Order: sequence, then C-alpha cells, then structure tokens
Amino acid sequence: MSGLVREGWLGFREFVGTFGAFQMFFFRLLPYLPKALLRPRLIIEQIYSIGVLSLVLIMFGGFFVGMVLALQSYSTLVEFGSADSLGAFAAEALVRELGPVVASLLFAGRACSAVASEVGLMRATEQISALELMAVDPIEHIIVPRFIAGVISVPLLAAIFSTIGMLGAYLVGVHLLGVDSGAFWSNIQVRVDMYEDVASGILKSFVFGVSASFMAVFEGYYAAPTAAGVSQAATRTVVIGSVWILLIDFILTGFMLPGV
Amino acid sequence: MVKKVCDFWSDDAVSNLVEIKDVRFSRGSRMIFNGLNFSIPRGKITAILGPSGTGKTTLVKLITGQIRPDDGVILFEGRAVCPCSRQRLYEMRRQIGVLFQSGALLTNLDVFENVAFPLRQHTKLPERLIRQIVLMKLQSVGLRGAWEHMPSELSGGMARRVALARALVMDPKLIIYDEPFAGLDPISMGVIVQLIRETNDALGITSIVVTHDVAQTEILADQSVLLSEGVVVAAGTPAELCNDRSELVQQFMRGKSDGPVPFHFPGPGYVEHLRALASS
Repeated sequence: MSGLVREGWLGFREFVGTFGAFQMFFFRLLPYLPKALLRPRLIIEQIYSIGVLSLVLIMFGGFFVGMVLALQSYSTLVEFGSADSLGAFAAEALVRELGPVVASLLFAGRACSAVASEVGLMRATEQISALELMAVDPIEHIIVPRFIAGVISVPLLAAIFSTIGMLGAYLVGVHLLGVDSGAFWSNIQVRVDMYEDVASGILKSFVFGVSASFMAVFEGYYAAPTAAGVSQAATRTVVIGSVWILLIDFILTGFMLPGV
Repeated sequence: MVKKVCDFWSDDAVSNLVEIKDVRFSRGSRMIFNGLNFSIPRGKITAILGPSGTGKTTLVKLITGQIRPDDGVILFEGRAVCPCSRQRLYEMRRQIGVLFQSGALLTNLDVFENVAFPLRQHTKLPERLIRQIVLMKLQSVGLRGAWEHMPSELSGGMARRVALARALVMDPKLIIYDEPFAGLDPISMGVIVQLIRETNDALGITSIVVTHDVAQTEILADQSVLLSEGVVVAAGTPAELCNDRSELVQQFMRGKSDGPVPFHFPGPGYVEHLRALASS
C-alpha cells in the first residue's frame, strides 16, 4: 500500500512540475507573439506546412463524418416524421461540435505530432543550440511561428471540415435517402444561428488550436535529444493534446449551451 | 569596493581573448571542473585536449554562455560572459562562431541559405551583397559549387565545411571547433585541418579546437591545454606536451590504454562481483 501511495505521490509531483513548466513556457511565448506577426513569412511557411498539408485529411474526414451522420440520424428522424430536418441536424452537429472537435483531433494527429517531432529532432541534431549560438532566439524563430500557424489553421480547417461534412450529409440525405433538397438547405438556413452555432464553433476551434499547437511546441522543445525522446514527444503531443481537446470541449459546451 | 562579476574587466584582455579564472562546475554530485584556470591568446589556435568525459564540450558551453559556472568567471574580451543580460550575451555570441561536430545545419534550408542565415538575421544588407559574401565564404571552404544542395545531400565532411562557412560569415573574433575531426576520412580531415589553419591566419581570428585527436593537434595547434579531473594538467605547445614527463600526459599523448586514466571503470573487484552475483 505504501508503495502505491509513494507512486501516487511521485506521479502527483511530476504532474505539478509539468503543469508548472507548461505555464512558464506559455508565459514565455506571449511577449514574442506581437513581434512574430511582424515577420509573416515564417508564419505563412508554417501555415502551408501544417495547415495546407492537412487539408486532404480534413476534407476526407469531414466528408465521411457528414455521410455517417446523415445515415445515422435519418432513421431516428424518420420515426418522428422529421426527416426534412436532416440538414439542420447535421449542420448543427457539425458546426457546433463535430467540426471543431474532430478537425482538431485529426490536426493533432497529423500536424502537431509532426511539429513535435520536427522541433525535437532539431534539438537532437543541435540545430536549436546552433541558433542560440548564432544569437538567434529559437523561441522567436522556431516555436512562435509554428504556434501561431497552428492557432490560425485549426479554425479554418474546422470550417472546411464542417462545410465538406454538410456536402457529405447532403449527398447521402438527398441523393441516397430521398430527403427533399430544398427542405435540406432551408432548414439549415432557419436553424443554424450565426452566434449560437457558428461563432461558438469558431471559438471552440480557436481554443483547441491554441491547446493542440501549444502542446506540440512544448513537447518538441523539451524533448529528450534521443530517438526515444523524439518519439515520446510526438506520442505525448497526440495523446495529451487529444485529451485536452475533449476536456476543453466538455467545459466549453457546458458554458455555451443555452439553459445549462 | 566589491566589484560585481558582470562589471569585471581584465587587464589581460589585450593579449588574451578568453580567460577562464578559477571556474568550478558540477552536474549533480559529479564535479566537472574544480578550479579551472587558463587563457586563450588572441590570434592563436588553442587545442583543448582531454580524455572522453573530462568536460571539453561543457567548457565550450561555459565559454559561449549556454550554461553558467557554479563559481569563478569566464571573460571574453575582458568582460564576464555570465551573468549578463540576454541582449549582451547575444551581442557577444555574434562575435563567436561555433562549429559543431555534426555541423548542425538547418535541415530545411539549402547550403546557400544556411550560410546566409546569420546575415539575414543580424544585418539589413542588400540581397546582392549577401549573395557575394555567401559565395565568397563558400568559395573559401571549397563548396561554392554545392550552394544549391540540401544538407541531407552532403557528406559529413562537406556539412562541416558548410558549417564553417556559416560560422565565418559574420567575421567573428573567435571560432570554436567542437571535435572537428571526429568521424572524418583522412582526406576530409586534411581539408578541415588546412581550413582551420588558413582561416585563422588569413582572417587573424582566434581559434579553439576541442578535440582528443593528438596527431592533428600536433600539426595544427599553437598551444594545447590538457584537461583531466576538472583541472588543467598540462599546457604548452604540442611539442612541450609530448615531452612532458607526467604519466597522465604521456598516457594521453601516446594513447596508452592503461595508466592514471584506468582502463576499467571504478567498481568492485571482478572476483567479488562474480561471487556476489553467484550468492544472490
């Protein structure tokens, strides 16, 4: 039993230590953000590398999620005689919830793991030390552009995910299941609210972008300079980043849902 | 009045570019340096020698301000490296070029951009001038023809030469070579030795070569410093070190497998160890 308590205590101490390091690194990044915006070339390069190159995955993901959503929800809606609401149902689910969450999870798996590995490998191959010795701040040059690019990319990817998802739902709902096309789109127009649905989805995806991108640069920057260290950094980025996204989603949904 | 370390000014700064004064540094319970004292004279090539694990690379990190000594002071141009502001540390680093063992080239940039990188970061020179400077530096290391190559397309020796061009591009006062001969074939090694010598003499800079390659040191260095057990055990010209009567110096310079630096890592006796394993 005492062994368990000891292990628990050590785990708790490690958690507190990591959380402290997490906060310190975050506050270390903040002063660099305005300065980094003055050098947009580095950010644009990173948006291409982590955002644009994630597009295919996001589009495929959105398309299939939209199709599955239409298939799953149709049978229930038909029972209540509201099959025409399929479009609104799919759109609300995608814009408010599935778009931001699934796009962020896919982004964490594709782009954030790549960023963590890249930064970790830069440390292992002494590129970060070389920058420091060339009097170039690696936080400014390496970390901040990747972080900002991630924060910008995730809301855009989530929006694309939701849009493609709606197209997937349209294909299945209208062309496969026979829902009326006009009802499909007009219900979306009536039910989906700009502030309650779209804005909350954008806010969520922005927060997920901050969380996932920060996890990637933090894990990469502090990765042990070994092969195992780099792979652990990538794994931790995806695992912890995904858990964070789901946890934050629960909290934000609780605050945003009217009447909760 | 007590002088603050950051205000420290050495009168020897005219003749010595770097001075290491009574430096102590430890990692955990392990003492790496225990009162290290020596100077790097201006315009000379100084080799820092020592068996593996004596802290040669740690010394490079101390000189460049990547880590701080527990005690003592390191002076660059007569001014303390640590503690000082980040801005001053970066100002100092702009006067120092470091050649890493791996080259540490930025893998997302080609050879030209790697060499141009410090210029783009620290100057506002027109593109035409940057191009001329970079090509001149690449010409001096014999790799102007490889300016479009990516680091992954270079051999180890070529990567080190590109890294040397990058280290030289800001015209530093000091260049530190960390294990420049490790893992090189004889031709590449000869090229690097020649480049270090020519660069030092042509540009009038000061060089520190951190190595355990005695043969190359004898050809290259103006003075050598041998480290062991956290202190300087011998210093002088390579010839003086070769003639030193100390057992430790002789063991290192002649590459003997056993001596004051034991072949076996400290531990219990072999027989007792086997008996203990058998009885457990």
